Amino acid sequence: MEGTDKAVRRSAWRRQFLLQGCWNYEGMQNVGFAYSILPALRHIYREKPEELTKALKRHLEYFNTQPAMGGVILGAALKLEERAAAGEVDSRDIGTFKVGLMGSLGAIGDAYFWGALRPMASVAGAVLALVHPFLGIAALLLVYNLSHLPIRWKGFSAGIEGEEKAVEFLKGSGFAAKTEDRKIVAAILGGAYAGAVCGKTALMFGSGQAAPAFLLLAVLTVHLLTVLFRKAVSPSEILLFLLIIGTLLVWH
Amino acid sequence: MYFQFLLAAVIGSIAYLDRTAAFQVMLHRPLVVATAMGAVFGNVFAGAQVGAILELLYLARLPVGASIPPDDTGAAMFAGAAAAVSASSVGLSAGSITAVLLLSVPCAELGKAADRQVRRINGRIASLTAESVEKGDSHAVEQGLLAGVTLFALSGVVLTLLFTGAGVVVGRQLLPRFGPASKSFFAALLPVLILLGAASVFSCTRIGRTAPVFYLTMAMVFAATFLFRWAG
Repeated sequence: MEGTDKAVRRSAWRRQFLLQGCWNYEGMQNVGFAYSILPALRHIYREKPEELTKALKRHLEYFNTQPAMGGVILGAALKLEERAAAGEVDSRDIGTFKVGLMGSLGAIGDAYFWGALRPMASVAGAVLALVHPFLGIAALLLVYNLSHLPIRWKGFSAGIEGEEKAVEFLKGSGFAAKTEDRKIVAAILGGAYAGAVCGKTALMFGSGQAAPAFLLLAVLTVHLLTVLFRKAVSPSEILLFLLIIGTLLVWH
Repeated sequence: MYFQFLLAAVIGSIAYLDRTAAFQVMLHRPLVVATAMGAVFGNVFAGAQVGAILELLYLARLPVGASIPPDDTGAAMFAGAAAAVSASSVGLSAGSITAVLLLSVPCAELGKAADRQVRRINGRIASLTAESVEKGDSHAVEQGLLAGVTLFALSGVVLTLLFTGAGVVVGRQLLPRFGPASKSFFAALLPVLILLGAASVFSCTRIGRTAPVFYLTMAMVFAATFLFRWAG
């Protein structure tokens, strides 16, 4: 079996950052995935243009996962293409493997990146921006990318070692525990942010006796807003409602 | 002013690319974008002030599957430009911050609609790409992707110019006309916006253990802040 060289693999790794470059409703990340794996396919099927076309058509089928987790599937698909070219596996297994993994990786990635890491980075950035804007920006970018970029690299490297290594990487990374930890840190920072602002506001409105009532009101407001979010009310709708109230008050 | 808009357009195209098409290293987040727009239009601190609040407001909407969240990058462009321009002329009060944040909502929704349109056009690009590949042209994949990325970047430039332009107009023409009474009405709504941001964080991090942690921290920091300032 002839494998792809390092330069080709590096090119595929770099290209994964454009996985969503042609995001569309029909195939979602299909063009981005085909673009990412293209250097490897050109290398593997360099003397078989018909096979290259067949392989590209395989990778232009519907594909969607969390973009940062796409590297794992990309690496593993690249390895499978090498094995398919050597006749070790059926080329139809590549599509089955991708479809089988993209849903579960999407769910893991969405929970970790969008549901835990991004809120943690955002609230850390928002709190530190009160000290200095650049400190806030640095915190946001560092907290997010110090986890995001290594996962992209390690995921791709594990994938390229084969499907078993990819699965091992997913098991060994402890995404479930990391997700929970980051959610708790984000909740602590979010609670601290809300508490500090409410404490400051309560002082402007009056005496110490009113403070418990003010805190209760703030807690109830957060709870009500959370219930509204759960009922799929968009933040835009709530903000629009506040804008109308503000405009009416000013008009009055 | 032309140079400022040119600079804003360059930053905007990078931010919009980072949002969906490329990288996803969080350069598109409201804190980054509003601070950058604040720097471009003359007051980096005013931009960061609105950016820090805006950063949390839309967190509860996740970009999962085919769902597109409101365009908080566009809202940050508007808010950063408006805040910077009004801060350099009349100062940035709590009322102005609230007004700017609330007025940025149409930008978030307009940006979302534009994003949806770009993704529809990308569908046509993807099907043309598939047709060319069928004919044996592997370069069509690279051309298709380049077309998609260019479309995202161009849409980003247009939206940036639109939103920062609107922000400058609002900051210069509308906000200075607000009287003290209007500003105090809007200022009273600012804590609600901050609680909305906190609720967004709580909502997307919610699991069994986070509820007591969130509310307990909120109560403790509230008490500490209140007592510290009251005693001081």
